[in-house]
Amino acid sequence: MTEEKLISAEEIALYDRQIRLWGIAAQARMRAANVLLVNTGALSNEVAKNIVLAGIGSLTVLDGQTVSPLDLGGQFLLEESDIGSNKAEASAARLQKLNPRTVVSADASNFKEKTAEYYANFDITVATELEVDDLISINDMCRQNSKPFYAGASIGLYGYIFADLIKHTFSIEREKSNISVKLGPESASRSIIDVIVKKEGPKLKEIVTKQETYKPLSASLQSDNLSKLRPRSLMKISPVLPAIKAMWNFHKDTGSQKPTNETDLADFHHLVVGACRDFGLPVGIVSPGFTASFARNIGTELSPIAAILGGVLAQDILNYLGQREQPIQNWVIFDGDSSAAPIYSL
Amino acid sequence: MSRETYVTEALGDVYQRVKTARVLMVGAGGIGCELLKNLVLTGYGEVHLVDLDTIDLSNLNRQFLFGHEHIKKSKALVAKDTASKFNPHVKLVAHHANIKDPQFSVAWFKSFDLVFNALDNLDARRYVNRMCLTAEVPLIESGTTGFNGQVQVIVKGKTECYDCNPKEVPKTFPVCTIRTTPSQPIHCIVWAKSYLFSNIFGIDEDESPDLDNSVNADNASEIDNLKRENTELKHIKDAFGTSEFPRLVFEKVFKVDIDRLLSMEDAWKHRKAPVPILHDELQLVADAEVKKSAAKVASDDQPVWSLAEDFVVFKDSVERLSARLLELLKNTPEGSARPVLSFDKDDDETLDFVVAAANLRSQVFGIERKSKFEIKQMAGNIIPAIATTNAIIAGVCVLQSFKILNNDLAHAKAVFLSRQPERIFSTESLQRPNPDCAVCSVARCGIDVDVDRLTLGNFVEQVLRGELGYSDEVSIVTNKLLYDLEFDDNSTKTFKELDVGDGTFVTIIDEEEPEGSTPRVNLEFLVYAKESTGDVDSSYKLTHIPEIPRKSMRKRTEVAQEGVVEAVPFSNGNGSVLAGQKRKAEDDELVEVRSTDAKKSKVQIGDEDVIVLDDDEAIEID
Repeated sequence: MTEEKLISAEEIALYDRQIRLWGIAAQARMRAANVLLVNTGALSNEVAKNIVLAGIGSLTVLDGQTVSPLDLGGQFLLEESDIGSNKAEASAARLQKLNPRTVVSADASNFKEKTAEYYANFDITVATELEVDDLISINDMCRQNSKPFYAGASIGLYGYIFADLIKHTFSIEREKSNISVKLGPESASRSIIDVIVKKEGPKLKEIVTKQETYKPLSASLQSDNLSKLRPRSLMKISPVLPAIKAMWNFHKDTGSQKPTNETDLADFHHLVVGACRDFGLPVGIVSPGFTASFARNIGTELSPIAAILGGVLAQDILNYLGQREQPIQNWVIFDGDSSAAPIYSL
Repeated sequence: MSRETYVTEALGDVYQRVKTARVLMVGAGGIGCELLKNLVLTGYGEVHLVDLDTIDLSNLNRQFLFGHEHIKKSKALVAKDTASKFNPHVKLVAHHANIKDPQFSVAWFKSFDLVFNALDNLDARRYVNRMCLTAEVPLIESGTTGFNGQVQVIVKGKTECYDCNPKEVPKTFPVCTIRTTPSQPIHCIVWAKSYLFSNIFGIDEDESPDLDNSVNADNASEIDNLKRENTELKHIKDAFGTSEFPRLVFEKVFKVDIDRLLSMEDAWKHRKAPVPILHDELQLVADAEVKKSAAKVASDDQPVWSLAEDFVVFKDSVERLSARLLELLKNTPEGSARPVLSFDKDDDETLDFVVAAANLRSQVFGIERKSKFEIKQMAGNIIPAIATTNAIIAGVCVLQSFKILNNDLAHAKAVFLSRQPERIFSTESLQRPNPDCAVCSVARCGIDVDVDRLTLGNFVEQVLRGELGYSDEVSIVTNKLLYDLEFDDNSTKTFKELDVGDGTFVTIIDEEEPEGSTPRVNLEFLVYAKESTGDVDSSYKLTHIPEIPRKSMRKRTEVAQEGVVEAVPFSNGNGSVLAGQKRKAEDDELVEVRSTDAKKSKVQIGDEDVIVLDDDEAIEID
């Protein structure tokens, strides 16, 4: 309750429309949070904008690269005059203007130099547009400090979000339903640990406290959870999931970021099919047309896709901090061609 | 390598159409700011934006194109300035104006390839829907409420329009619940805001559009009582501005009126009787317990105030508001309209009055009292709004625009953001238009009119009967009834005298039902006012002779059942966003499945007198 007292009348006026949604206690927890964004891109621009507007305590942007003209196509935090300057510094300056109450800092060093001690400073780390080995390494360092980790990428028309919140307890407030809530496991990763019923005016409200247990990225990529689905559901799994794994494998195998000729494309298609098998998915979900389209989109970014993924990822961060609402468990796969965004638990 | 490299690779051929597209964005608020950013970065050729609103502090948690320094400035103009830096190659045109202004004509709408609605109210949404149908320009409609949102693609003749599904009606309460038998906090809030406030500081109740006090046999004695209450209140108003005034008002509404209610013994046989509050007793408690000033109490909007604190704030706000009104009266020149105060959730003095009065009344009726923060939301119809939801929905709008620009309507989707553990979005294929929709399934025609010369009688005789073959049995309506078989009083009046000018829609409703057939669908004229030429023959000219098919024989309720499966789990604050219901088959083809709002229509006002919670004050659904 002492946290709540710290929220001033001025802040309540500024954050009025969101406090009405998630309450003042959640707002106070957001304000106490220190978030790190590793690598900047269209997606991280969106995540940063959303959490800074919402009023998180402090944000650090870590990026050792310089701004290129290519960045201007999807990153609203950068302008033509920034070309050649450090990306973290250029975008941090613009972010600060979005909310003077959040402390925004830039770190212009290379993320590869950072050790586990560095990640201990942050309540949440979000790494975007990185290769899988780097993601796994950062995820593992966050785990050593028991700190949650998000990964994500906006891949042209496609994209993903991965969450490792280790062990997360959250509550859901709702009108009391007729079915009484039973304590205990609710899914493979989630259990209900507490239920409080209280009277609010003429209605009964229930506050259900649940806990989700997560896997790190390395283990999640080995998961065969999906293979246990019924064939009908299996056929509906988005081919974007295996394509993302194939994208990482292609880079590991060839050293180049994306397929550029017919031979590359055939290799890439094989990798997607291979990834399907790894996940226990029917290879029929992948068509050569899809593979070609996905391959063309690798390494590109589009503002509307980044906005959607960045909105979903930022809201999950805010929900995590507010300890409210069901968090992502643990992959969101996005296909902008069909506007489908399934959540898979791997 | 340029800013266009990625978008060219990712979008392929569609990008060429994006680059040359000329689009209109209506609304530069929550969704609008996000949408404009996406359109500009993606490289749309030319973007016009229209918004009449100015920037407020409570916008800044999500409308990221605006900063503190922009408060009170035009949303459209500031949004344009900020967004132009994201991509200097896009042509941006901002209009700080109401989209309903006549300058935004059908021809102007026609000049766009696509229109995006990023609005926060039902009325403007409906208007743009109708303009886009008339101009035959595709419309992408969107809305958000809290964590939820939706996007709908509207193409005339091919998909459902915004009005194909009825919208939720504003919440209404029977007058007796508000005035005699409140049972929930909202009843007391509506009483404080729509009845007590306007009676003391606003227009007299007799003139208030919110209240309908029509008398019938059942409520005659009650209405009599209410009338007496009003007369007494008018009497008390003689003491307006004196130091006695707050006490007199207090005693009247929390003691005298309550005693009168108690005298209707029948009413309290099965209901908890109200308990009057005595002014002098509460004054003693307040003197002993309330150490803070009224202003200090009122500045704390989170806790529920004590009864004594409500009392202190009530008296103080009556005093302050009376002083304000007297000041206005003093500065009003003789002969001009008497000034009034009106409730505004952002005007703290008016809000404090409503909070204190509502809570005192709640106490009288044994209802839970609420904090100022909560009452502000209920009294002001505030809808929670966050940056993330707006960003997501704006992104989806742009994805749908790619489908339209690529002439690929079959793969455009209605998209609902209402997260479940297994997916972020629910999607639906677009539905065909409702054949009985009064807005999109109508015949349309433009008419050039010399408004000084053409009379309604001539219009009926020459246009409707002469050119279009209607019988006598027609009704003609604009926003009011102009003509029907039993009402021809307006026949000799000119269009100008009837206030039918440039840009007015005139609807012809066929009332003739021939044996074995149906009436024709409505015909909607859009009036273009012309200069008077003095030439008798040219008092009007039709743009074309419209084809006016007959209504379908099919009854809507028959097909209604098929489609309705589950209600969308949205709480929709002002009823302006959601179609309200969802069909079962996700990703079905364009099938003719209609959802109805049979249930919702029943929410419609019955015979009882009602107070309508005015929607004007609904704020954010953008």
